[in-house]
Amino acid sequence: MTSTQIHRHTRLSIFMHWFNAGCWIFLLLTGLGLIQNDDLQPFTSWPTMLRSLFGGGANLLLAHEIAGIAWAGGFLLYGIIRLKSDVLPFIREIFTVDIRRDFLWLIAKGIQMTLGYKALSVIADKFGFSPKIPDQGFYNVGQKIFAIPAVFGGMVIAASGIIMILSQTGMASTELVQWAILVHFVTVGLVFAGLLIHIFMASIAAGEQPAFISMFTGSVPEDYARHHHKLWLDEVKKS
Amino acid sequence: MNKQLSMVIDSSACIDCRACTLACKVENNVPEGKWRNWVKRSEPDFNKPDWMDHRTPLHFQPGGCMHCEVPTCVQACPTGATYKNEKDGAVKVDSKLCIGCGSCIPACPYGARYRHPTRNIVDKCDYCENRRERGELPACVVTCPTKARVFGDINDPKSDAALLLKKNKSVRVINKESDTKPNMYYLSATAPMNWPVKARMPDAIQMWKLAGPLIWGVVGLNALGVLVMLGKQLLMKENAPETDESHEETRQS
Repeated sequence: MTSTQIHRHTRLSIFMHWFNAGCWIFLLLTGLGLIQNDDLQPFTSWPTMLRSLFGGGANLLLAHEIAGIAWAGGFLLYGIIRLKSDVLPFIREIFTVDIRRDFLWLIAKGIQMTLGYKALSVIADKFGFSPKIPDQGFYNVGQKIFAIPAVFGGMVIAASGIIMILSQTGMASTELVQWAILVHFVTVGLVFAGLLIHIFMASIAAGEQPAFISMFTGSVPEDYARHHHKLWLDEVKKS
Repeated sequence: MNKQLSMVIDSSACIDCRACTLACKVENNVPEGKWRNWVKRSEPDFNKPDWMDHRTPLHFQPGGCMHCEVPTCVQACPTGATYKNEKDGAVKVDSKLCIGCGSCIPACPYGARYRHPTRNIVDKCDYCENRRERGELPACVVTCPTKARVFGDINDPKSDAALLLKKNKSVRVINKESDTKPNMYYLSATAPMNWPVKARMPDAIQMWKLAGPLIWGVVGLNALGVLVMLGKQLLMKENAPETDESHEETRQS
């Protein structure tokens, strides 16, 4: 029952994860409240509600900007002090893809998650591939597919936000600012769509509870690691 | 009925002295090269044989933000920083919410908006809100030596503006392709009439109107997917809790 715990996340990266989550929730809700336009806002009562809560649109904007700067600044600082130990290895990890193995993983995992294990073995039999879901590294390829747009989307969100703040100091042309607003909205929307899957997979999906708990404790049971991230476990064992 | 502050103008009384534009600049600290209001002039037609018979071959037309009934500037603003004030019908700019993106500027057929070079927000006529709070009339109205500009609530039948409108025929200066239903009335007739441009939504705002439903659609689809997976998980657990022996995933929790 009690298996050995394997260290997976440092304290700082756990902190950054929840810092990111908190900022995202706050910025998403306040940002949605900043869109007040009959043609652009499907939830018309949300901006009205939020603006009365914050005491006016001007305060809402200020709160959103301060939180946004804190979020981007926090990650910039983290990126600087943990560039070699965390950031570069993370970037290398999310871009490392074994096309054959990972493609098979996507298909097999996709079938298993939607249709179940029985359907997977039937389909695998029919098309002549192994029903065993291929082993994965520190992240599985599904996580990588979300990590890449999340990281670069985050950068786009921060950059477009900064352009909007610069507009208030007169350092950005109006046309650039107009496009920055649209890019900000579109990028947040797309990353948020992926985030929904991330939240489900990490906190609700069956069998993923150890991963969720590890975002507090920093470690996962060896059984879990073997089952979900075998290639990573092998590497940990080697070293 | 709600108030609708409006301007009723007898442009035939305008002598083009431009005192209104100067008073406005002083009152509202309008920066160099920018104007919150204006006096347009007609093109004299010297080809008309009788042009000398007219008192003047020119016609002057005082104007400014028309605080429209259908303000295209408000439609162009993403945040509601520019809005039609329900209390008095004036179209206003919340200077602390506006980030100066300028989307509203080409959306005004009258060119009534400009980006303030040092405050970095969009500025325009607010019917001299500061003066109105003290119970005074807008600067352009009190300054006009011929009283060409009359200001008031046209929904209040006793106001000077409403009475003038009731007694006289009036016209509005509009671009036919984008009639914003301006709240600026000119008594009997005025010139020039053809200067308002077609209201133009900035490309980014037009693109947003197209991209918006797509983005909401993607978010909605993913949310639906998550709900389906959640439902499946809950149902599967109820139906077959112990049959899935080969997989520790379902047993670990």
